[in-house]
Amino acid sequence: MRSTVRARLVAAVALAGVLTLATSVAATAGSNAVSGTVTLSGWASNPVETKLLREVIRGFEKTFPQVKVDYAPVSGDYPAAMLARFASRTPPDVFYVDSNVIPDWIGQGVLEPLDTYVRQQGLATRPFFPRLLNAFKGQDGKLYGFPKDWSPLAMETSTRFMRAAKVAPPATQAQLTGVATKLRSVMPSGARPICLSPSWDRLLAFVYQNGGSFVNVPAKRMTVDSPATRATVNWYVGLIKRGLAGTPSQLGVGWCGEALGKEKAAIIFEGNWVVPAMGADYPTVRYATSRLVAGARGHGNLAFTVSYSMAKDAKNKPAAWQLIRYLTSRPGMRTWTSKGLALPSRSDVPPVAGRRPFLADAAVARPWQFAPGFDKVRTTADNELNAVIEGKQTVQGMLDKIEAEGNAALQR
Amino acid sequence: MSGLETLRSAKLREALVGYGFVALPMLVFFALFIYPIGYAVFISFHDWGVFGSQGWVGLANYEELWHDDIFWKAIRNTVYYTVIVVPAQMALGLFVALVVNAAIRGRTFFRAAFYFPSLTSSAAITAIAVYILSADGLLNAIVGGNRSWFGDSDTALQSIMALNAWTTSGTMMIFYLAALQSIPTDVYEAAAIDSASRWRTFWKVTFPLLKPAHFFVAVVSVIGALKVFDQAFIVSNGSGGPNYATLTAVLYLYRTAIADIRFGYAAAIGVALFAGIFLITLLQRLLFGRPETA
Repeated sequence: MRSTVRARLVAAVALAGVLTLATSVAATAGSNAVSGTVTLSGWASNPVETKLLREVIRGFEKTFPQVKVDYAPVSGDYPAAMLARFASRTPPDVFYVDSNVIPDWIGQGVLEPLDTYVRQQGLATRPFFPRLLNAFKGQDGKLYGFPKDWSPLAMETSTRFMRAAKVAPPATQAQLTGVATKLRSVMPSGARPICLSPSWDRLLAFVYQNGGSFVNVPAKRMTVDSPATRATVNWYVGLIKRGLAGTPSQLGVGWCGEALGKEKAAIIFEGNWVVPAMGADYPTVRYATSRLVAGARGHGNLAFTVSYSMAKDAKNKPAAWQLIRYLTSRPGMRTWTSKGLALPSRSDVPPVAGRRPFLADAAVARPWQFAPGFDKVRTTADNELNAVIEGKQTVQGMLDKIEAEGNAALQR
Repeated sequence: MSGLETLRSAKLREALVGYGFVALPMLVFFALFIYPIGYAVFISFHDWGVFGSQGWVGLANYEELWHDDIFWKAIRNTVYYTVIVVPAQMALGLFVALVVNAAIRGRTFFRAAFYFPSLTSSAAITAIAVYILSADGLLNAIVGGNRSWFGDSDTALQSIMALNAWTTSGTMMIFYLAALQSIPTDVYEAAAIDSASRWRTFWKVTFPLLKPAHFFVAVVSVIGALKVFDQAFIVSNGSGGPNYATLTAVLYLYRTAIADIRFGYAAAIGVALFAGIFLITLLQRLLFGRPETA
């Protein structure tokens, strides 16, 4: 009697145990396990962008009905706000990371490596432009984000002034000087043929074209002090000093896009972001976009890109991964880039019409990023370049200072 | 005997009641001011990242600070800014207080008008100033020329100085006005009897009687000027300006903390700045003596 009861009890417990195990296994397997809330954050540049993003999010929520996306963009200083959230261990699950700051954020350990998710999903990363994908790999080779979009620099020329001077958009740096000289006679007073930003996030593209470089991160060595860099800086500053080019503050504008719009410059070098800006602020000004000029060693460009990354302390990692995957998938990226506000970072998503000059440099564009701790080096470089333009510093002096600052940052 | 005991216990009770009232605000003061300052000093002895300490480094941060060219440039900018702005603010505040103190028509309106810039957000004022002082802005339309005041490293900091001297003079005016109105009128009557001119009355009578106000205004001005940040941040877009022209000590601290993510080094900058301000205030206190009135 007792043994039968005992046997039945044991059987009941065993059955309960097996059922619990079975249901838990079923719950973790399969994508219907993805549920709950996912927080998405980033910065919001303009309302059109936010509307497009919400459209993509709606598509995601239709595919994963159990998941709710809580989109809360950050206004104001994005790195400051994000650092506060990382430190308090309450970060958003998915958020933007600029390629500029990702080496520092990876170094601080606030991002989740995505390689295991990629492998489990069997996701093909080949459609992504390799240079863009590599921008979000850490020094340990792990992938910490997927590029959501990108833009290199291109050359925008004012149709009115180019026609008046009877010149075509130049193809090389030497031709640029020649074209600017011819443009000088048709520019109104207060305007200059070219608008050049006095910062290395434009100058470096020209340095790359002449075969120069900035830093060799694996070798922990600064490489900016070279004849190629010196020649490029002399040419760049020379254009400003000879009156063939002006900085935005010299022209009385905030950035070179404004110079083109206010007809204070005929040639500017900006990325895809200038197209919606011109359309919104200066719709009557006609301009043409061409591929960025080439230098002594051919073409070279900078890629400005931002990733979707997952926080290490994210609360809902499975759903966060699915959100990242969807946002950078073909349908997600197609919706996001449908208004031409950004260029797709996948080769299998065609951009909107008229953006071919930007994509021409996809293979040679190097991401605008260096190594952890390089923000101070960038600020030093920009300040020293300003000093050179004002005549308060020599080119060699500037390069020495940048090298010293950079080597100190690499050794830390 | 029992009378004395009752007196002592009454005094004790009174003291306890006093301490009881002060205890809660003191707790809040300790938690929100003293504790963070102490913690910042603690952080400055570490290599501190997002998730906390990455190792004790002792005085290494301070040593690096001592040899940091950019830090000294920031200090130089801040001291230059303070030395010019504090006298300008005080003079402007005193002048405006004198104007408003006189029995002129509409003095209430002028009082409000002069104080108004101190009330408005400094960020809003600076944002508008960026437009007014741009190369094709309003100021150049009036004085001529084509220079970008905030974009040229020779005029960027000076423009911020002028802007701040104007906006903060309103607060100084309030302090001086309160002190002016506490001067008894028979002093002026005595000066009038001695047939002193307006200028001599001001310089020999009013100005010395304002000594407590001078001390207070000077201390508050210097502390505020040494901590200047928002104008420098907005004008230079957070970068420290054309060729370090607008890099102030607090802006350098902010960049080190947010952009470099080196909280230990930033804390060292903060502690160094705190020590500097403390010493200067102490010096002012010792030099200008104890104020007679609160």
